[in-house]
Amino acid sequence: MLPVIRGTIWAIVAFLIGAVLTAIVRAAMGLAPWAFGPVFTVGYFFGFTGWLLGVGVWDTWLREYLGMEPRPFKAEGWRRYFGFNTDHKVIGIQYGVTFVFMFLAAGLLAMLMRFELMRPGRDIMDFAEYNRIMSLHGFMMILVAVTAVPGMFGNYFVPLMIGAEDMAFPRMNALSYWIWPPAAFLLLLSPFFGGWDTGWTGYPPLAITNADGQLLYNLAFFTGGLSSIVGSVNFLTTIITMRAPGMTWGRVPIFVWSIFFTSVMSLTATQFVGVAMVMNLLDRIASTAFFDPVQGGVPLVYQHIFWFYSHPAVYVMILPSLGIMLEVLAHFSRKPLFAYRWAVAGFAGITALSFTVWAHHMFTSGMPEVLHVPFMATTEAISVPTGLIFLSALGTIWQGKLRFKTPMLFALGMLFNFLIGGLTGIFNSDLPVDMQLHDTFWVVSHFHYTILGGGIFGLFAGIYYWFPKMTGRMYDERLGRIHFWLMFVFFNLTFLPMAWLGLNGMNRRIGDYPPQLGGVNAFVSMMAFVLGASFLIFVYNMVVSWVRGHVAEANPWGVRTLEWATSSPPPEHNFPHVPEVLGGPYDYGVPGAVHARV
Amino acid sequence: MRRDALIVFILWVLLTVVGEAIVMAIDIYPPVAAVEAEHIDQAARTLFMLATPVFTFVVVVMLYSIWRFRARDESEEGPAVYIHQPFAVGWLVVTSALAALLFYNPGYVGWKFLQRDPTGDLVVQVVAAQWHWHVTYPQYDLTVTSKPIGFERMEENAELALPAGKRVKFEITSVDVIHSFWIPALRMKVDAVPGLVTTMYATVTEPGSYEEDAAFRVQCAELCGTGHPRMNMRVTVMEPEEFEKWVEEQKKMMEMGGGMEEEGDH
Repeated sequence: MLPVIRGTIWAIVAFLIGAVLTAIVRAAMGLAPWAFGPVFTVGYFFGFTGWLLGVGVWDTWLREYLGMEPRPFKAEGWRRYFGFNTDHKVIGIQYGVTFVFMFLAAGLLAMLMRFELMRPGRDIMDFAEYNRIMSLHGFMMILVAVTAVPGMFGNYFVPLMIGAEDMAFPRMNALSYWIWPPAAFLLLLSPFFGGWDTGWTGYPPLAITNADGQLLYNLAFFTGGLSSIVGSVNFLTTIITMRAPGMTWGRVPIFVWSIFFTSVMSLTATQFVGVAMVMNLLDRIASTAFFDPVQGGVPLVYQHIFWFYSHPAVYVMILPSLGIMLEVLAHFSRKPLFAYRWAVAGFAGITALSFTVWAHHMFTSGMPEVLHVPFMATTEAISVPTGLIFLSALGTIWQGKLRFKTPMLFALGMLFNFLIGGLTGIFNSDLPVDMQLHDTFWVVSHFHYTILGGGIFGLFAGIYYWFPKMTGRMYDERLGRIHFWLMFVFFNLTFLPMAWLGLNGMNRRIGDYPPQLGGVNAFVSMMAFVLGASFLIFVYNMVVSWVRGHVAEANPWGVRTLEWATSSPPPEHNFPHVPEVLGGPYDYGVPGAVHARV
Repeated sequence: MRRDALIVFILWVLLTVVGEAIVMAIDIYPPVAAVEAEHIDQAARTLFMLATPVFTFVVVVMLYSIWRFRARDESEEGPAVYIHQPFAVGWLVVTSALAALLFYNPGYVGWKFLQRDPTGDLVVQVVAAQWHWHVTYPQYDLTVTSKPIGFERMEENAELALPAGKRVKFEITSVDVIHSFWIPALRMKVDAVPGLVTTMYATVTEPGSYEEDAAFRVQCAELCGTGHPRMNMRVTVMEPEEFEKWVEEQKKMMEMGGGMEEEGDH
């Protein structure tokens, strides 16, 4: 039996056990036994456990713990993706396919939103539906942005780039992926429980009093966070302990550094959002009243805890993509990565400061005014380490020998978009200007420039760059370029006018707006539809190339890092022998320089 | 190398001049109805002016490199330049100085300006409730209440009137979930939080109305449920004499029992 099927059956059985037990306890307490909140919540945690046991925890850890022979998952062909596979390359592809699919689904929701916003007034959905679709779009995209790059490329390429045969904890790696299906299932289920209408931020008291779908959001966010923590422990351990001989910290590729610092943030901040979710959930089901002002709770506390994770989280979204960008810029300029140490210091600085800026999301929240100044200072200070990334990027392409393949186009496009994203962010960090811009379409423009224009462009740079390595086949370069140009041009045409809309009085998260903003909104919607359509080319290119693209060589780009020193795709244990690292990964233009002997 | 740098420098200066001219020439801001709003727009202009040279520098270096430094054949490699220490140090100094500068002005200076005078000639108490604004003028014993009836019927909705030239203190709270009291023409918003009274001060300047521009409206800016986009009302800034007349009219309407009978649909 495929492990996913066994996991599903065990999950259903465990859910029912948990639900019935809760109902019995409630009945014994003289309460109505079948209250949705407590019954579903306890049932979910039982079901979640049942799922993990069925999908692989029983066969591996638990059998070992009980003194039985473990039964590691073994399968070939497509079946190997449907079980507790511990090969980091399989897990990378599992993550990749799952989250690219989720990205496209959430993008379809964005198309619906732009359809509604094309004209003022109510068109295809009512405001409640709009709020639910917007919330689902936002949350799914947040999950994609946090998870896709580390999940797909971190898992696949960190071990390869440092010359390791796998991650430090392969079974934990599989666990981190198999935690995700229950979270995805909750999202699919949420519309049947009224969805939720608080956006991805889930602010109480609204999040305490609205439909039951909110509870599923709380549980899904908690579950996803668990996966982040498990994954980041693994990345840190792998990078610290599994580097090949000679792979000193000064020779570690910049993408690995970006995953390292991303993991530091994920490991230390994610707990906070988990706590925020649980507290909100308890307010809903157990009358704890942490955030319910009617019973003496304080709504602003939620925002502090939530953003204490969720601001570092935006750097979790961007750092790995910046790593890919610098990686691609160096290799496709055939020049050493400029100011390598400074770029690493930039990542370190962003990581450290990311924990100190959260309340800039709260300048208009009613928190004490005395807090505005320090948070403005830290927020504006974070532009300095971010600037070091730009120093490295510009210094790398300067005087290089640039090759304009699709990954390079995406890396350059990302640099441009992220520049606008960074500069528009300065306006939000400035207290007086933020009084006007907070919670408007300016912010929508700003964070799509950083997360879509930055993070997701980086994701696509990575997809095109590593596609030949992961699939053993070459994508169609011409279609790749068409995809880039459509995506780049229509991305900018979609999101730049949104900044103007925000400045001119269009708030975010609304299904309607003043009629005088109709013209610009119609333009934005039409541009957004072309942007959406550009992904059809991408999907076509990926599917067709994966099935019958040209067979890729081991090193089609002629670049130096270790993942290109093995076959495409790599064999099960990556390298025939342990590689010996002799020099830096970017020694272009140095006659006779060797990065590693494989 | 020298020549490339010189060309980039010249292009950067030229493009920056053009960029600054554009920033100064075009007016992308909606109408202004308060001293604070003028200050905030000025802060935004300052930021645009500071951002322009940064934007043009990155774009010029990128475009020049794309044009000038393309590989002509597959085997070509760039020079083995790992770092240019003085340039990197200079970059760090300049970006740090820029961050410090814009923290001081418009950031800190603007914060001080908004804090300068916590008093108001006119007090306006705002109570937010899904999805109404209850606006009370305690000095006049008057309350007006908005209805969530949408932009199509905005002219039927309630009006928040403010006297030109007066300093207004808004005291804002909520009875259910978090809302946000935003008047785009004042360029300010603050959340309406249950269990908390938040304040916002504005020295109102010239007359203006929703009919003129939608910036003259109260708009809920914090997602508060189904009626959120319709949680708004007209704002009219009028001469003080007219304001007194408006208060009298509203009171008469209140006595006749107008106002609350019609609920919006969602």
